Amino acid sequence: MKTIEGLSFKRKMFFFGALFVLIHIAALPGISYSDTDVQEKLTIYVVNYPLKYFAERIAGDRAKVVFPAPSEGDPAYWMPDAETVAAYQKADLILLNGANYAKWVRKVSLPRSKMVDTSAKFKDRYITAEEVVTHSHGGEGAHAHESLAFTTWLDFDFAAKQAGVVMETLSRKKPAAEDFFKKNYAALEHDLLALDNEMKSIAAKNPLLPLFASHPVYDYLSRRYGLNMKSVHWEPDEFPSDAQWSELRAMLKKHPAKWMIWEKEPMKESTARLKAIGVNSLVFDPCGNIPDQGDFMSVIRRNGENLKPAFQ
Amino acid sequence: MIDSIYIAWQYIRFNKIKTATLIACITLISFLPLSLQLLLGESERQLMSRAVSTPLVIGDKGSSLDLVMNSLYFSDEVPELIGMEASERVMESGLALSIPVYARFHTRGNPIVGTTLDYFDFRRLKVAEGRNLAVLGDCLLGARVAENLGLKPGDSLLSSPETLFDLAGVYPLKMKVVGVLQKSHTSDDLAVFVDIKTTWVIQGLGHGHQDVTNLSDPTLILKRSESNVAATAKLYHHTEITKKNIDSFHFHGNTSVYPITAVIAVPYDDKSGTILRGRYLSRNETLQIIKPEEVIDGLLQNIFRIKNVLDAVISVVALATVLAIILVFALSLRLRQREIQTIFKLGCSRLTIARLVSAEIFIIVLTSGLLCGVMILVVNQISNGLVRMLFIR
Repeated sequence: MKTIEGLSFKRKMFFFGALFVLIHIAALPGISYSDTDVQEKLTIYVVNYPLKYFAERIAGDRAKVVFPAPSEGDPAYWMPDAETVAAYQKADLILLNGANYAKWVRKVSLPRSKMVDTSAKFKDRYITAEEVVTHSHGGEGAHAHESLAFTTWLDFDFAAKQAGVVMETLSRKKPAAEDFFKKNYAALEHDLLALDNEMKSIAAKNPLLPLFASHPVYDYLSRRYGLNMKSVHWEPDEFPSDAQWSELRAMLKKHPAKWMIWEKEPMKESTARLKAIGVNSLVFDPCGNIPDQGDFMSVIRRNGENLKPAFQ
Repeated sequence: MIDSIYIAWQYIRFNKIKTATLIACITLISFLPLSLQLLLGESERQLMSRAVSTPLVIGDKGSSLDLVMNSLYFSDEVPELIGMEASERVMESGLALSIPVYARFHTRGNPIVGTTLDYFDFRRLKVAEGRNLAVLGDCLLGARVAENLGLKPGDSLLSSPETLFDLAGVYPLKMKVVGVLQKSHTSDDLAVFVDIKTTWVIQGLGHGHQDVTNLSDPTLILKRSESNVAATAKLYHHTEITKKNIDSFHFHGNTSVYPITAVIAVPYDDKSGTILRGRYLSRNETLQIIKPEEVIDGLLQNIFRIKNVLDAVISVVALATVLAIILVFALSLRLRQREIQTIFKLGCSRLTIARLVSAEIFIIVLTSGLLCGVMILVVNQISNGLVRMLFIR
């Protein structure tokens, strides 16, 4: 094999000339497809994990979906710092859950033109939370700080509607990829409606079954699937106080539930004491934040499996 | 000719008061129409450029001029307030970008303009120093406000109470200066920008205070029931929004009906703009949609009508002044009869006399022209601010 050194001067000139032309052709705009694609990628910022999942499923590789909340804690009560707010401001799209989810949105400055409330279409069907303490001061009337239940995606029909809004918004932003988004959305909608049917069939087995929820976050789940559920305010990683146990015992008299639904795996001491008073524990993760394992679908399917023993 | 000018100059030097009066008369009579023309031209430029760049403004059915002057130039006259749902209505129509404006409050004599971040993109305003608005309580200063008040990012600014005697009213809000905008040579230079939600905090619709459900001081509680806690006026309200207390800030009720002064609607295309305008034509409609260009054009027509009257007055005064100057020269020639006789006796012709008088007039007119030119240059330099002071604010 001949090396470059072994070529004649004319051939060397031809070789370098051809190399020069090739390099310049490759550098022409539009030739480097991968670069252009990267530039055209939408940057989407979201306020919770379900929206991240929906956006990623629908947009595929056409968008970079960012959910900057820390993995610990509930993103609904997170407060981003000024730098993170600046990152949200620079995004092409900001997907909001609506129903007063992520209170921080009302305390920061975001461009309205980029914000999309994914649940606005069914805002007339928002649920007003039961446990609200109103307060008043000065010459003003009584007012409440929190009044709307916000885990809308636990009604999987609503979840499909929210995903539909994501698809419509992406199609408006990138009309060229509309068919791609529609196809991905159809698959996601199919999965969400399958979950919806699965939940309906689980709940239908014993529609009057009394249940306890450790946290008032299952309002939409409860309404959609007709669950007979009462909520307390217990944390999975905290052993309930005596007052909380007394409250539960009082509730048990009117609402003889055999199962308590937890957001996360509760403390063993809590489950043992619950078991002692005849209440079993199961986990139904609302999946508001990125799960440690699996994705939204797998977590919700696991939730369904966890629910099954209660309804049998 | 030089000799004539020399003699005329000596004469003028000797009759200082008469010459100064003549120069003042000619200077003023030429300066007045020129400066008026300059200021009106500048006001037309300022008013129209901003009006033309603002496609549509939505506000309460009332004075369209007040609405435009307040939402475009942040004038002190506040139009009737409308609800935030007016902005949402535009957004939901899918016909235009909606930018709410709430220009009602002031800080150290400058208007506080509550809006959304879209306003800065729409007006192409860039942050020259510091950063953009991020959290509740942040404020961005117009370039001239920062200059005049000597403020920079990191400083703070207190909102002014609406009335001096509003002792039981809302506490002023201490806003954090986070940035200064680049100079735009528009009303934006003279405004303090905040997020629309911050203006609601200034108004008292949103506030932060101690958690009333966990109060231990009995003097803070008026009445407590299972579902309501009524606090006394002693309850401490935060007057500054910080990282520590931002969680306690909240808004009462439905923010979609919170007040704003106007909505700037930026239609996505001409057709959308026409459809949008059509939606506000109903008799039962409580809002009006206006094209600022048409309103400002009407205003300018009135200004120019007044200008024509002023021009006529100035013309008559100018004519009277010119006649008076002629009279002054005629009388002065009569007073100088003996002097002219002496010049004759020295052997000078009538032409020499005419040259002497012409040289005098030339020097006076030239000096007046120079003075008028200098004054016009000064007015030209300050016309931007002068127009804002005389016509806009």
